[in-house]
Amino acid sequence: MNRLILIRMLQEEIRLNTSFASGKGFFSFPILVMISGLLAILFADVMIDDIGYRDYLQILHISAIFYGLFAGSLAFFGNEFLERIFGYFGLILGLSTTQPITQKKITFLYFCKEIIFYTLFTMIPALVGAIIGTAYTDISLTNLLIFSLTLYFSFCTGISFSYYISSFYRISLKKTILSAIIFIISYSVIFYNYEITGSLEWYLNRQINLLFLGAAIPIILSLIATMNIKEYNNTTSISIIGYKNRFKEYTQKYNWAKEIGIPGIIAKERIDLERSKTGTKMFFSFLFPLGFLTFMNWFLDRGLPIQIDFNTIFYGVMIGFFGTMLYSWLNSIDTPQFYSTLPITVSDIIRARLFLFGTITWWIPLIFMTLISYMSNELSLLPIGLIVMITVGIYIVNYTAMSTGLKTNSALFDAFVFIKFFLVSVPPMIAMTILSLAINHRPSTILVALSLICGILSLLSLAFYRKIESKWIAESFD
Amino acid sequence: MSVIKCENLSKKYGEVEALADVELEVKEGEFFGLLGPNGAGKTTLLKILTCQLKSSRGKAEVFGLETFNHFKDIKTRVAIVPEQESPPSFLTPREVLELVVNIRKIDDNQIDYWLNFFELDLMEGRVCRNLSRGQKQKVMLASAFISKAKLMFLDEPFINLDPLVQSKVRQWLKEYVDDGGTVFINTHLLENAERLCHRAAIIHQGRIQSLINLKDLKKQNLTLEKLFHEIVK
Repeated sequence: MNRLILIRMLQEEIRLNTSFASGKGFFSFPILVMISGLLAILFADVMIDDIGYRDYLQILHISAIFYGLFAGSLAFFGNEFLERIFGYFGLILGLSTTQPITQKKITFLYFCKEIIFYTLFTMIPALVGAIIGTAYTDISLTNLLIFSLTLYFSFCTGISFSYYISSFYRISLKKTILSAIIFIISYSVIFYNYEITGSLEWYLNRQINLLFLGAAIPIILSLIATMNIKEYNNTTSISIIGYKNRFKEYTQKYNWAKEIGIPGIIAKERIDLERSKTGTKMFFSFLFPLGFLTFMNWFLDRGLPIQIDFNTIFYGVMIGFFGTMLYSWLNSIDTPQFYSTLPITVSDIIRARLFLFGTITWWIPLIFMTLISYMSNELSLLPIGLIVMITVGIYIVNYTAMSTGLKTNSALFDAFVFIKFFLVSVPPMIAMTILSLAINHRPSTILVALSLICGILSLLSLAFYRKIESKWIAESFD
Repeated sequence: MSVIKCENLSKKYGEVEALADVELEVKEGEFFGLLGPNGAGKTTLLKILTCQLKSSRGKAEVFGLETFNHFKDIKTRVAIVPEQESPPSFLTPREVLELVVNIRKIDDNQIDYWLNFFELDLMEGRVCRNLSRGQKQKVMLASAFISKAKLMFLDEPFINLDPLVQSKVRQWLKEYVDDGGTVFINTHLLENAERLCHRAAIIHQGRIQSLINLKDLKKQNLTLEKLFHEIVK
């Protein structure tokens, strides 16, 4: 029976993804991953020359852990996860509520399904791409296969950690934080004198016991998580009663914005944002990638022959880019189905959310930018950093809104949408990153170049914003 | 005067034909029922008529305007209760009604009436996410009824309602039609259809199989249930 459930869960996952994206778009994703694997191996020599062999392998392992964490977070912490259990999706994960199967068992199967799914659709295509790449490089195929296996252990560690954390999250936030701290401290103590993962230690230094330890960690994490799953969990994330009616108050408050959006819609979306406590989630979702960037900054400083300092302007580019995340959060609060009963269009809702992005969520990037520039002793660069952040943020969010509408998370699973997103977002980011890193060498020239790019991005933002109406006016809310 | 008109209307989802050559006309002031088994095409037709779905072929008109091309004009003049009860999760029932009157630009003096009518005043301070399915359905109905629209599209409106509320809703809908309103209702609850509808169509496998005048049916001592079984078996 377990095998059958697992197969059905995999079928369900594929159908779910192809319902979000087009079938072609979804099945093209592994090809995109394969090309990435090929490119990674083709440029491996260059990277190793620049960074150093050991550090390069470490970066790959860190990336695999983070990828596993990301995949696990999507599965276990997304709104969809809650919907999958309690909501209208009615997926197999919810079977335990109506059939004689325990939540413990069905959640464990769900975890297995996640590992299999990501293995089939991303890890294996990446490996195939890398194998093809070995034909054009000196890298030995055997070495590649062995190293890929060690990377796979790191990926499994990441995804298992998400599962482990989610099992505590079902109990309480306190236990979640405590369990995360316990794991991170234990892990740091164990690997203090070794490489960042057990499998990498084995690969570089042939310590076989560390390989077993590296393989055991995901197993231990997933076992703890499975033992943790109870049949009944408290799911009262919001109060049952006692909400003060705020709609009229907010509608009046936003009446001045009636040329930009419908005040009633803006008020409704604002209330959603407050009561769902999404602002807090948005804040914490910034910590993770920024922590990663800071870590990479520190890490690269150790390996590169020249000193690279990610300054405030660089963080302005990155934080602006994370605006996509904020917009995506705004689209994840509630289903828009009710709007289908009213004389409004999808573009009305997009505009209301863009308005909220600009007026309500601005404090999150601002806090991070101010903190970063203060900690880096670069308060003098803060005004330029803020201008860059706002320009990049508006540019990327307008493009995201124009290209993905109200379904940002699912639309980016479509390889075609993703490639376009990549092409629109990455070139200006690279240009601005290079300029930001060279700010101390020729400040006036760099400032002129940055202003020019900001100007172009602003014009493009306007064009994207104007296109929203024509692209989404006839779209349904389903 | 006809408020709904379908000519040769078809809808395909890939190879699946959800609607095939539907011909239909509903007059102003009529209580019209679309009956059919699960998956017959009832919701697809309602979604096309309410501008939520584009047809593959043929014509669908509401108030003489072609649906989908006159999205806003039609939607301001109709009220919709969809199949799935989906009021905004984080608004209270009162706030939902305030949202509806705000968007539709109508007076808000009826909000208390509808909250009382559906006993939603007792839910004051609760957000819709924490309501039962029946209570959510009441919010959806109140949102439609408060709109004062001339035409109502109701998709299985009685599902999840207790018998007392069903009775109240039936009574209100009757009065609404007596006052000149038009109702287009999708249902497979034949008893309700028999009590309420002037005319009904039975749809099966995407095709209209029969158009029935309920008065004529009674005269012939036939029941809707019997006819339905004969057509759909």
